[in-house]
Amino acid sequence: MNCTRRNFLIGGSASVFLTGINFSSKALGQNKKNLIVISLRGGMDGLTAVPVIGDKNLKKKRKKLILEETLKLNSDFALHPKLHTFHDLWKNDQATFVHATSIPYTGRSHFDGQNLMESGGKIPYKEKTGWLGRGMMATNQIGEGLALTLPLPLLLRGVPLNDNYYPAKGSLPSKTVLETLSSSYKENGEINLQMIMDIIQKRPLSMMLAGKGGRNHRSLAKETAKLLNLNNGPSVAVFDLDGFDTHAAQGSNYGRHADHLKEINDIVEELRKNLGDSFNHTLILTLTEFGRTIKQNGGNGTEHGWGSAILMAGGLLKKAQVHTDWPGLKNKDLFEGRDLRSTLDSRAVYLSAMAVCFNTDPEKLRRNVFWKEQLPDLTSTLFTS
Amino acid sequence: MKSFFRKVGFGIGLDEKLPTDPLKWAQSQLDNVEPFTWKGSIPSEKEMRKKFGEFIYGDRKILRKKYKNDKNKYEGEKNKLRHKTGQKFFENNELTIRHNEAINGKSPVFERFWHFWGNHFAISEKDYLAEYSTGPYQREIIRPNMVNTFEQMVKDVSTSWCMIHHLDNSESVGPLSKWGIKSRETINENHARELLELHTISPQARYSQEDVIQMTYVMTGWQHKWDRKRLESGDIWFNYEMHQPNEKIILGKTYAPDGKRELYNVIKDLVNHPNCKKFIATKLCRHFITDNPTKDMINPIVKTWEKTDGFLPEIHKTVVKTALDHSTTSKFQQPETWALQIVRMFGLYWISKPDRMKYDFKKKPTDSQREIEWMLEELGHLPYRPAQPNGWSDFEEDWISPELIIRRLIFASKMANRGLIRDDNIIRAIIRRNFNKPEKIYKLLDSQKDYKNKLAIVCNSPDMLKA
Repeated sequence: MNCTRRNFLIGGSASVFLTGINFSSKALGQNKKNLIVISLRGGMDGLTAVPVIGDKNLKKKRKKLILEETLKLNSDFALHPKLHTFHDLWKNDQATFVHATSIPYTGRSHFDGQNLMESGGKIPYKEKTGWLGRGMMATNQIGEGLALTLPLPLLLRGVPLNDNYYPAKGSLPSKTVLETLSSSYKENGEINLQMIMDIIQKRPLSMMLAGKGGRNHRSLAKETAKLLNLNNGPSVAVFDLDGFDTHAAQGSNYGRHADHLKEINDIVEELRKNLGDSFNHTLILTLTEFGRTIKQNGGNGTEHGWGSAILMAGGLLKKAQVHTDWPGLKNKDLFEGRDLRSTLDSRAVYLSAMAVCFNTDPEKLRRNVFWKEQLPDLTSTLFTS
Repeated sequence: MKSFFRKVGFGIGLDEKLPTDPLKWAQSQLDNVEPFTWKGSIPSEKEMRKKFGEFIYGDRKILRKKYKNDKNKYEGEKNKLRHKTGQKFFENNELTIRHNEAINGKSPVFERFWHFWGNHFAISEKDYLAEYSTGPYQREIIRPNMVNTFEQMVKDVSTSWCMIHHLDNSESVGPLSKWGIKSRETINENHARELLELHTISPQARYSQEDVIQMTYVMTGWQHKWDRKRLESGDIWFNYEMHQPNEKIILGKTYAPDGKRELYNVIKDLVNHPNCKKFIATKLCRHFITDNPTKDMINPIVKTWEKTDGFLPEIHKTVVKTALDHSTTSKFQQPETWALQIVRMFGLYWISKPDRMKYDFKKKPTDSQREIEWMLEELGHLPYRPAQPNGWSDFEEDWISPELIIRRLIFASKMANRGLIRDDNIIRAIIRRNFNKPEKIYKLLDSQKDYKNKLAIVCNSPDMLKA
């Protein structure tokens, strides 16, 4: 029976979730494993982040967007220089890139796509929970999720008692206000509000005192590392970045897309620095709704495409590798004549990542999270257990 | 039934007359565009675009070159340019104009619909638009069209400088146009895709990628006038030399070449598409009534739409009627709406006096001139800065999290210092006018002694978070 701080203290309406036998790492006395997801909204361009080396088709189709300098990964792929922390980690077998991958959605709408990248489903707005939330629920990780955003992302919904962190200015009203409101929510059947009020009441004071300046990506990552490192702290964290929708002036080594890649790098750099040894038991991965067209458009930007890349870092990775079934960039290879084809359902990566981090059988997650869909098990290909 | 005053408005203040016929009260506010009552500066969209132009020209063409080897000097001069063009001032001025109407205006229901449409045709945070242009766009493009047809509103939005700049349409060149052949430049799908997806028929209409491309061709040529001094801040015009020639086929219908009128021809069909009516009616119900609108809420609105050819005042009246018919169904209120309801109902101090909103364009604005912006930022809801072109969410679950509720608790207790009348009888009277079941809230009020705690608990009660 695992009694983390949160699910020990909640009692009441949520205690029903504590009845199952929990094989989580904490219960088995192993090192706690952390799973950190960074959502990249707007459609991250996999070919800017992890460009293919020496492809004539790419050079011809996006003259203004080709990187002049890159960090070499292997004979076929390189890395955008703004992702230099990933390159350092690559040398220690702690970075992996999955390429030509996407969720199985080809509609090119941001909002449908973002909904599906989080819900893990196939019909926009049909599912009300996220794949991560369902995965946590299936493995009894209640009260383990932390979002570094103001709203709780769909990705984490589906398991109760997630917390979020985004330091506020000002101080809370007295304890009796919170207690009275909590019972008022209960009387009115406002279960969500009641659970949130309970989380607020149990917050460590340090989370209320961060104040101004604590909201940039680096500070949030630093604080996340601290919270993850607490024995009874959360083990799942979600960051949210936007601005990847570069229809105009996308840039190459410098410019809009590069600035946003730097934000990913900053987060990973701070996490690595501040997690210390627990970085060895951590997996960080990215999530985006689609990639971008091969061809540059009228404004030296790119349009909504399909295949993109997943960037991964952390000690739970098997080795430095670019895992891909590369489809090629000739016109005939492209999806609908314009996009990098996705040759791997990215949900297989997320399924396998959860299986490793939550110490569970991928089969169980396939059943409980992805409606028994045929997703390949990549645990032994990508991760160490 | 009294929650209706908050459901479609901002509640009834103590000094206001309590409407005897709530439906009439609400519907009578929807026929006319009331002029703004704000006594301070209300700059025109054109003036504000000029300021935007001065900033980007000054920064890109002068300062970056002049101080290319001195980063500190560059930053200092850029800050001066920011002040000179009011970059840190105008957004708050716009929020002040908007909130003055919500709090003190005579047509709060009209204001709620204005907020709705501004968010439907949202301008997301990009390229200093929130600093200079989003507010003026809301005032000059969205607001006057609220007494026109939906078709007219879509036309004006789609050809507005703000939306065209926001969604990159000036970057879109027909590959077979005169300019396209010469320059080998091509299209940018951004604006066309959102016109279909967000503004009119929604993906439920099942258009294809080819439809999006054809829509983009229709829109090629609609762009800002570019010149050396004003850069991209010039007026919108139709540049025939960039317009894709030949006929276009959208959703199975062929459109003959018709120059700038092509866009109008397509919009006419889009707004009459059954999915458009259903999509917009559902969004209206979702905003005012419930996260999950039912057919008996949506259908009357679609019916009015069909009967009046999409005449917005009549559509709004049906929405209000439907909201009244479902006044026991409660809807979680977005942070800005909730904050304005608190201010209006309890008669609190919120906006600065016009003379305190005077700006000298020399140094950064005073703290009090930026207060509204900061308070709304804390609540997680700056109306003119949604992260993406789909605007702010209307779903309750996007507004409920520990951090978001913490902000509401802190906000409400701070508001007690803004002129709250510290007398329980008066507070009870306010509650009585605005809530279906006041006794429940009296109990919460009485549970606290300190007025900061009293306001915090009342404002975060389930009945106040919803309406």
